[in-house]
Amino acid sequence: MMDRIERQKKTTALHLAMEAKETLRRVESEFPDNPAAMQYFYDLYRERYAEDAPQAKSGRKVVGTMCVQVPDELIYAAGAVPLRLCNGSTTYDQIGASSMPSKACPLVKATVGMLEISSELYKDKLDAIVIPTTCDQKKKSAEMLIDMGYKVHIMEMPASKESDEARHYWQNSVKNFALMLQKLTGKKITRKSLKESVAKVSRAGREFRRLNNLAKNSPPLIFGKDVFMVTNAYFFDDIENWTAAVNKLNDELEERKSKGFKVAQSHAPRILFTGSPPIFPNMKVPVLLEQVGGVIVADEVCSSSRLLYDSVAFDEEALYDMVPAIADRYLKPCTCPCYTPNDDRKRKIEHMVKDFAADGVIYQAFSGCHLYEMEQKGINLRLEAMGVPMLYLETDYSPEDMGQLSTRVEAFIESIKTRKRRGK
Amino acid sequence: MKKLKTFGKKSEIISKALNNTDIESFRFWFQLSAFALLVYGGWFAINFADDLPTFACVYDEKRGAQCYLIGLQHQMATPWSAYLSGRGIGILVAFLTFFAWFILFNKAWCGYICPVGAIQDWITKLRIKLGIRYSEYSAPAFKGLKNIKFVLLALLILMPMSMGNSFFGLPKLSHEYAVPFCMICPGRTILPLFQGDFSQLAVDFSSQPKMILTSLGMIVTGLFLIGAFFKKRFFCFFCPMSAFHYIMKKAGLLKLTKDGSKCTRCGNCYRACDVGIREIADDIVSKDIVKDDCMMCFKCVAVCPEEKCLKVSFLGIPLYEATEEGFYKRMEGKTENDGQD
Repeated sequence: MMDRIERQKKTTALHLAMEAKETLRRVESEFPDNPAAMQYFYDLYRERYAEDAPQAKSGRKVVGTMCVQVPDELIYAAGAVPLRLCNGSTTYDQIGASSMPSKACPLVKATVGMLEISSELYKDKLDAIVIPTTCDQKKKSAEMLIDMGYKVHIMEMPASKESDEARHYWQNSVKNFALMLQKLTGKKITRKSLKESVAKVSRAGREFRRLNNLAKNSPPLIFGKDVFMVTNAYFFDDIENWTAAVNKLNDELEERKSKGFKVAQSHAPRILFTGSPPIFPNMKVPVLLEQVGGVIVADEVCSSSRLLYDSVAFDEEALYDMVPAIADRYLKPCTCPCYTPNDDRKRKIEHMVKDFAADGVIYQAFSGCHLYEMEQKGINLRLEAMGVPMLYLETDYSPEDMGQLSTRVEAFIESIKTRKRRGK
Repeated sequence: MKKLKTFGKKSEIISKALNNTDIESFRFWFQLSAFALLVYGGWFAINFADDLPTFACVYDEKRGAQCYLIGLQHQMATPWSAYLSGRGIGILVAFLTFFAWFILFNKAWCGYICPVGAIQDWITKLRIKLGIRYSEYSAPAFKGLKNIKFVLLALLILMPMSMGNSFFGLPKLSHEYAVPFCMICPGRTILPLFQGDFSQLAVDFSSQPKMILTSLGMIVTGLFLIGAFFKKRFFCFFCPMSAFHYIMKKAGLLKLTKDGSKCTRCGNCYRACDVGIREIADDIVSKDIVKDDCMMCFKCVAVCPEEKCLKVSFLGIPLYEATEEGFYKRMEGKTENDGQD
């Protein structure tokens, strides 16, 4: 028995490294004109996945987070570092499948699988795991992780974000989270430390927005797969290093812009990517899409823009106003499909399509994620009314559907090309 | 053509500079100057207008201008028959003067000029300095209470009217009730204090109506000071001048507008709003977003991170717009301003 588990661990590590290597190879070497500043990020993944090394040692407490609603500002202010755990590897997905329903979401399966098979590593690494009550699968996985022996803090979140009652309920959860953090680290969150951490996260957000604006350019200056690599790195990279690296990348893109350098022709179909998040090493749809001539100019996913776009704005420089302001930032503008109603997501996509002059939308839904699957129709209707085509892809982490995906994506891109030609 | 281009470039630079400004500190200095002008103007022989749409209080001997409401209350005591005479013209001219001043700044009279508003903002600053938390109220309960301002506006017109005229054969109201709103307005009791004049801070026992009104005035003054300490702009929720403004806001040349399609409903504006207007964040349909309590302080514009989602314009010329750059600049100023704790 013991032997079998040990063997499984070994093969898992091997498969994970291979998977990461293969994705990196495709992202890095199958595209021309990668920005030089992307090297930092490629290397980061190489290091991270050579053997599973979740995060560089910092000497501080590490708080594992699931979902975008966990306020990083508070974690930093309490003297700890966040590590986003949501995982994208098919290797871990297969492990998780043994303890989760077979039709469950691959993201949750992979995350649970990772924490299960590599429990020695992660138990050593993580001082706590925070799980907001978002979707059912994340919620129930919290219980599984507790059973595995992890210290899990559940952040109670309202299922709706419309009323002031919901807002206050969440503000209270965030306050409790802050108290938990203080206990965990033994360090008080002060006005000063919170202001510093808000500034730190805000600087990162500002660089992301700069990247976002540069990605708006026509002709495109950068491929979406690279933007995903950048935003994904935010999961585990040191935030200040990350911000500096994105700053460098943005400078390079600005230079590209002024020189008229482009990664694709201006008539290349511009795509908005939404739905279930592409998380390294699961980059199959973005890479596929850009290999057949599309360019992802914007995204509306929780591993990227939903994670980084919004910023905290407090009014009074005191904890009693800053903590609720932080809570609001993680609730009000969030377009996670776990909220009902979620018209904000439709409006956001509608606005982004116009703002980024997108020709089409790719909607990825992980099979097993009912929320994204169910919101698909409403969003499609909204886009149809705008005359913008959408391709709905139900997929997971396994490489088995690559052939089918590639046919559909290619046909979609071709149809947009034809539309654009006719339009001219 | 070249000239036009350089002009365009220049105006771009100017609007960028404007959009990056820290509106709160601008407002602080503007309010202070307006306060000096309206409260102390008399010392410099300034008396620049009689019918201002703001609380330039007449009971302040050295004021620099005069509030419209006192004149209005006097005028409303005119008998019906006299409306068509010269007095009618006087009433009309006063209203038109008031109206002309109003449309110039719209509700920004409240946010930038009103001395009673400024005092409340200073009380808030004091509270923040002391590190005392603001209080929150249940929104629905407060919503009903806020309608008092419309009732006060109606009363300050109807009460004087019933002094000069008989309604439905009822006896006329005693002239001892003259300028009823002024009697309960905290401007009357507080602004003269800035001249060292404490005479208004008393109950007038000369007649029963005066006693009732001045007693009410004392109570309102007390509530004003306590209320403003715990809730920003507490008095403004009940201000009949604000109600009057609201009725005429469509004519205002200064406008605050919203482009709902750009709004993420992040709620930054609602958080910043001193008078808690929810619609500013949640209404994604209306272009004109000025509500009855809005004082056009434009803090909402300052904290909006979406390009041109909220916009202040004068006669259609954009003066101050929400921008990503401006937002981050201002937040940086806030988070990186000091190391003290």
